[in-house]
Amino acid sequence: MAAAGGTSSDDVPVIQAENLTSNVRSILYSRTFLSIISGVVAGIWGFTGLTGFVFYFLIMMVASIGLLAKSKFSVHTYFDSWSRILVEGVLAGLMSFVLFWTFAYDIVHIF
Amino acid sequence: MAEELVLDTAIRDWVLIPLSVVMVLIGVLRYFVSKLMRSPPSASPSPDPKTVKEGQVVIRARNLRNGAQFIPAKAFKARKLYYTNGEAGLLHVPKEDAQKAQAAMFSDPNMAMDMMKKNLSMIVPQTLTFAWVNFFFSGFVAAKIPFPLTQRFRGMLQNGIDLSTVDVSYVSSRSWYFLNLFGLRGLFSLILGEENVYAATDDAQKMMAMGGGMGFNPAMSLSAEKDSLDIIQHDWALPKMERHAEEVLRKLLKN
Repeated sequence: MAAAGGTSSDDVPVIQAENLTSNVRSILYSRTFLSIISGVVAGIWGFTGLTGFVFYFLIMMVASIGLLAKSKFSVHTYFDSWSRILVEGVLAGLMSFVLFWTFAYDIVHIF
Repeated sequence: MAEELVLDTAIRDWVLIPLSVVMVLIGVLRYFVSKLMRSPPSASPSPDPKTVKEGQVVIRARNLRNGAQFIPAKAFKARKLYYTNGEAGLLHVPKEDAQKAQAAMFSDPNMAMDMMKKNLSMIVPQTLTFAWVNFFFSGFVAAKIPFPLTQRFRGMLQNGIDLSTVDVSYVSSRSWYFLNLFGLRGLFSLILGEENVYAATDDAQKMMAMGGGMGFNPAMSLSAEKDSLDIIQHDWALPKMERHAEEVLRKLLKN
């Protein structure tokens, strides 16, 4: 990750657009990766119903905390708002999660 | 759930897994085919100098807008006037020019060709795969999603099976194809690089804009930029900066 904004300018937000997009892209990348992996894991463990979705959102929360730690707990150095870390890419990953969850669950448990 | 269906393992080996693998491979193939078919930029005729000039003016105006708070009010006003001053401003578009640009858009065959190529590379493989799935795999219960759903989803998930007694969470092979179609987008962004997927969605959005207001042309973006320059509130940031710098320097001196 590259710093997108300076911490020194408290009153004027200065964001470097290129670094910001690259940071957001790395968030999306890690979230997509995590959603696929967690889908496979949930399928193999045989989660059904609500448990699986709870598992997904738990994983995403852990990912948020990880991203927060990665940005050294100063979100505004790297991003323009908190929502980038908390919600960016969560819903986009849900579809992949459901697909891989179903796939792994079917292969392991249904047949 | 009344009773569990027992699915043959042969269905897994010969329907579920092949279907998924084929979907992934077709996605990869489509990516490379569209890459091949994209006309190289050198082949397109050298761009019209007027268009280039207009594009540059828009970029300059945008830079002014983004950096507005870092120059004094007077300087900003002068620059703003330079861009938006009625008919003399750089961002002014004569009426007949705007119409001409639109006409040119419609008649430019290259642009339409490019768009059609892109669309074709999307639509043809999809139709082919759908036909293939229909031909080989119609009527299988291929999978079971691990969460319950309401009756409303029957049409979506059990496309191709006309039984009303099967539990809704069982998925027919045709619907598994659709699930793959939408769910694999994330996987493609991982294995093919992000630009692939996001570019695709961008294209879709662009098409949308086209349908709406015959969207992108230079005249349009000029006048849009002019409007946004007009409404911007100038707020000089640097007086605060000086105070900030003074604080920092004093702190340094103390140490």
